[in-house]
Amino acid sequence: MLDGWLDGYTLSLLIFAGINAIAAYSFFAPFKTGQVSLGQAGFMAVGAYTSAIATQKFGMPFAAALVLGALLAGIIGVVVGFPALRIKGVYLLLLTIGFAEIISVIAMSWEYVGGAQGFRGIRYNPFTLEYVIGIIVLLLLFFSRLERSSLGRAMDAIHQDETAAEVMGIDVVRIKLLAFGLGAAIAGLAGALYAHQATFMDSTTFNILLAVEILVFVVVGGGSTYWGPLFGAALLNAFPEVLRGLREWLELVPAAWTSSHAMHVIYGFLRDFLDFENAKRLIAYGIILIVTMIYRPNGLLTREQLRQLHPSRSRARHA
Amino acid sequence: MFCQQLINGLMLGASYALVAVGYTLIFGVLNLLYFAHGEVFMVGAFAGLFLVLYAGVGIFGALVGAMIICALIGLVAVNVAVRPVSKDYPLAPLISTIGLTMVLQNSAVLMFGGQQVAFPETIRQELYHLGPITIGSVQVFILVVAITLMVLLWLMIEHTKLGRAIRATAENHETAALLGVDVNRVVLVTFMIGSGIAGVAGVLDGIKNSGVSPFMGLGAAVKGLIVMLLGGLGNVLGAMVAGVLLGIVEILSAAYIGTTQRDFFSFLILIVILLIRPTGLFGTRTMEERS
Repeated sequence: MLDGWLDGYTLSLLIFAGINAIAAYSFFAPFKTGQVSLGQAGFMAVGAYTSAIATQKFGMPFAAALVLGALLAGIIGVVVGFPALRIKGVYLLLLTIGFAEIISVIAMSWEYVGGAQGFRGIRYNPFTLEYVIGIIVLLLLFFSRLERSSLGRAMDAIHQDETAAEVMGIDVVRIKLLAFGLGAAIAGLAGALYAHQATFMDSTTFNILLAVEILVFVVVGGGSTYWGPLFGAALLNAFPEVLRGLREWLELVPAAWTSSHAMHVIYGFLRDFLDFENAKRLIAYGIILIVTMIYRPNGLLTREQLRQLHPSRSRARHA
Repeated sequence: MFCQQLINGLMLGASYALVAVGYTLIFGVLNLLYFAHGEVFMVGAFAGLFLVLYAGVGIFGALVGAMIICALIGLVAVNVAVRPVSKDYPLAPLISTIGLTMVLQNSAVLMFGGQQVAFPETIRQELYHLGPITIGSVQVFILVVAITLMVLLWLMIEHTKLGRAIRATAENHETAALLGVDVNRVVLVTFMIGSGIAGVAGVLDGIKNSGVSPFMGLGAAVKGLIVMLLGGLGNVLGAMVAGVLLGIVEILSAAYIGTTQRDFFSFLILIVILLIRPTGLFGTRTMEERS
């Protein structure tokens, strides 16, 4: 449908950015109740391996495998979420890291899914972009409804102060589990989409660095509003491409302009600066992360800001 | 065979303990998970490598140099990524140090490439046979340096004025400040000590594996976190004991069960400890009780 007017490079770029955005929502769901997980890559791995086994070994259609992967990731999410109820902060972070590492060890030592050689020859899904767009739209609708529902308000209350929320009669255990399982299921979707787009994965594909990147999207974009994860993922995925585009423009500068030594030095510096390989991209992410935390610890977009865009609505709320 | 494995485990554990000690010191005074510590360890290893290759210093020079360089990096890190960040958002300092991790790791990738770089032989490897046990001079050196460093740190914390100030700050910032402790200075010094020790640990790791890589910090960071938790957050002696313990468990499970399962066991220990005894093996207070 869409590949007619997009070249292959842009297409794959959009697809992976979209998968990143979905993964960002998987972090956002438990984060709404104040649970910070660095194990979302582990849930992506569960979804990816489950769906790939379903399509490759059992010949299931992709849509069914996608749902299966999300379901299993969600169930495992609830199981992991149970112990996560008792612990928070640093401890939860460590627990989720531990979970993701155990998943990775299992993927490495399980010969049925390729072991250390990796899972090869996964069936390519030609409609990933359509799936990605559809899922992002659904997620946006879902989270926008959630924000105005009693469940969403209960989640905010738990995020603010768990004890106070419990005193107010909110079923903290149920809601935190729900949020954790939901996040895991969304991660499962992202993983399944990834597996059938890349057609190859191994035990290091869904590593802690990926989990950190997912966290960065949400934290930079803004964790207090449902637009934040999408905004963060879009911004940070577009950033290196914009610089790449600038570099291509730079190539168009006529040689005569850079004949003087000073201009030549400036030109060379600019060209190197805009040459954005992976390491430089991650350094830039790191700097953006630190600067964001210093100046906007709530992220670039906040719910209050978005409310100001709708003056009538915000007045009604404060009346 | 068993004794041999025990010695190997002790060796591995000593390097875990060195990383974890820094973590736990920093956690103690700031009540904050400082994510970039593993990358300081990596920078220390590269600093040691460069000192050996280009400054022509011996192994002791490399150790001292890496210690100083890492202490300075710790000083910069705390001023760039920790102190400017508001404490009102509990997540903010954690995330900014994750940012610092990314900057340090990828700067190393940019400078040295993503491959492992060989660490030259600085100590002649001689094997000593003590009955059924074989131990190399490199291993002896690593063990001696690690144990000396930990004993010195322990003496410093228990018996000097600075050590007392660090303990008071870890107990409670306000009370310590009221009693005349310059809390800011103590935090800085603690960061420098922890980072310096991590630098030494990095060089030792480089010697042990005869190579350093920009990605060595991540593994060290995660293992260091497990050890810190096992020993109890902020408990320096606990971290030392737990480091050795984890090293021995890993080596034994690798020897008797299988090498791919080695990490599985350390993460299993992590999860079990989190669930049944978040205070660590020695019953230190948990994070909630501290704050």
